[in-house]
Amino acid sequence: MRRTLLGTLAVSLITLASFGGANNAVPPKQRQAELVLGYTKNPIVKPKLAFVTNGVADFWVIAQRGAEQAGVDSGAIVTVHMPAEGIADQKRIMEDLVAQGVKGIAVSPIDPANELEILDQIAGRTLLITQDSDAPASARLAYIGLDNYDAGRMAGKLVKEALPSGGEIAIFVGRLEQDNAFRRRQGVMDEIFDRARDDTRIENPNTPITIGKYTVLKTLTDQFDRTKAKANVEDMMSANPNLGCVVGLFAYNPVLALEALKSGGKIGKIKVVGFDEAPETLAGIRDGSVQGTVVQDPYNYGYRSIQMLNAVCLGKPDALPKSGFIDIPAVTVTPANVDAFEADLKKKLAGNASGNSAGDTAK
Amino acid sequence: MKKILGITGIFLAIVIATSILSPNFLTAYNIENLLRRTSLFGILSIGVGFVILTAGIDLSIGGVVCLAGILTPYLLTQMGWSAPETVAVILLMSVAIGFLQGGLVAFGRIQPFLVTLCGLLIFRGIARGVTMDQTQGFQGKFAELRWIGNGRISIPGVEEFSLPAPVLSLIIIAILSMIFLNCTVWGRWMKAVGRSPSAARYSGIPVARLQILAYSICSLLSGFGGLLFVCDVGSAQPSDFGNFYELYAIAAAVLGGYRLSGGEGSVVGVIIGAAVMQVLRNAIVLVSWLPYTAEFAVIGLVILIGVLADEFLRRYAANRARTQVKGTS
Repeated sequence: MRRTLLGTLAVSLITLASFGGANNAVPPKQRQAELVLGYTKNPIVKPKLAFVTNGVADFWVIAQRGAEQAGVDSGAIVTVHMPAEGIADQKRIMEDLVAQGVKGIAVSPIDPANELEILDQIAGRTLLITQDSDAPASARLAYIGLDNYDAGRMAGKLVKEALPSGGEIAIFVGRLEQDNAFRRRQGVMDEIFDRARDDTRIENPNTPITIGKYTVLKTLTDQFDRTKAKANVEDMMSANPNLGCVVGLFAYNPVLALEALKSGGKIGKIKVVGFDEAPETLAGIRDGSVQGTVVQDPYNYGYRSIQMLNAVCLGKPDALPKSGFIDIPAVTVTPANVDAFEADLKKKLAGNASGNSAGDTAK
Repeated sequence: MKKILGITGIFLAIVIATSILSPNFLTAYNIENLLRRTSLFGILSIGVGFVILTAGIDLSIGGVVCLAGILTPYLLTQMGWSAPETVAVILLMSVAIGFLQGGLVAFGRIQPFLVTLCGLLIFRGIARGVTMDQTQGFQGKFAELRWIGNGRISIPGVEEFSLPAPVLSLIIIAILSMIFLNCTVWGRWMKAVGRSPSAARYSGIPVARLQILAYSICSLLSGFGGLLFVCDVGSAQPSDFGNFYELYAIAAAVLGGYRLSGGEGSVVGVIIGAAVMQVLRNAIVLVSWLPYTAEFAVIGLVILIGVLADEFLRRYAANRARTQVKGTS
């Protein structure tokens, strides 16, 4: 008897839920448009906005400063969240934010292809933009960031400068399933091999590829374990005595490569090309052990994301780019500009800079 | 001795196979790397061995590695402490962690799994909170301290090869552990506690004190391991430093002959167990046709085959012994 009662209760609850969730009936894309339109009629000042990262990193601390500064400049109430345990954690945080009633979220999706459902659920309830890493198939209003493929090509140029007469190259990264890692790697390889862009090209990270005078050996991942990241470089040095250049796609990869080269006595003999602006990488550029690094502009990811969401809440939909993409291009840092770059970075971290909208273009 | 025969066989088989498949495996540089990694992980495994011996478990190892690994550069660079002060505080803190956890297990009668699982969360949480999730590094300084993790000791007469410094720590810790376990009353008592806690208690063995001692040693070695790890790699990020290291440590201990039900184990076996894990990971990169992305599958498969072969041989030997006894009677 009791079981039947419970069953009836459960069925009626499920039925209620499926009818009751009005938001579920409207497709997320349409819901986003409705939200934007709603704010043009009834603007909200000092909206609650959230900036959600894809993990915990120093890179995101710079973005956090940008987002917070935009909050100060625009009057929005900004919170920054860094999920430490992957996709499930990111989902939980966004759901909690929606429950809290935030008016907009700028997120860096961890795995866009598999996170589509989550993103669309969020987009059904609040303004959603992506930053740093895009999810083009989702209902997000816009993407603020760089084209990681182009950034990869910039790193590929540095590799060619490091090894003008050719050689063996190994690539190291935390996780390859992340969209930005995958595109960076493809960009690096296409530039090294002088190939045109082909987004359908997928190359096995386990097999070495030789075209012309360059060989790209395996691509090794470390799941953000630093001991493993260092061991990967050491093992590739053991396996390939002719290794000429290592490319680190995530901020800590060039740092750990330098540690491995140092203990192996190969500093300067094996070239290092990196991404992002870890202090050790910048020091390496200064002392010549690093060829160069390709840096993003996380400060402006934070600043522009909040600025855009705030503008929409204030009833200014023109802040959204027509193409859905705001390009904040990467910069190559070499011995020539490392000092200027570091001075600018310090200023931003100290919190007395504001967003720079002169250097980027809406595509 | 019999206990470690199986794991030694697996180890030798992997070493021989890899050296045939990759000409770069037995180079001085690669062996140095393997010795260093085995020492680092081996120290954690020896530590958890003490707890497993008393039929307990310590899941907080990764958290303690993280806290020690984060606090070392933090205290040195952010707080401006000296190296001896920092090391002393890290080691004292580690012992205190073990003392507390052991106390909760022994006197609070809380399951070790729960106590140390909470520890895992708490210590990583503290590391993240103290540093506000910022990566901590030595900023190119403190080379003398970092020597214990990344240093190399040249051997007179040998040019190519130097001994990685962590090997020294491992040898000292291993010898002290063996003396404690095999030559002291406390060591024998600890084994007795694992075999049957109630029997041990009735025999007048101070069970609670031994449990606390086991957890204290384990946390001390985890903290010391964390110190060595960060000295080796130079920087640490609180959210992922030492993630899953408790599982690597427990796996090496069990591979090396420790029974999770307690009472049995060998320090040499644990070191070989740790070496098996490190050599396998190394082999996957060195042998070019092994798919790197299937790393964990290869490690799991090789260990499983090895353990099965070991078990099969043991049963075969036992059967033969039995039939021989029948034949003679």
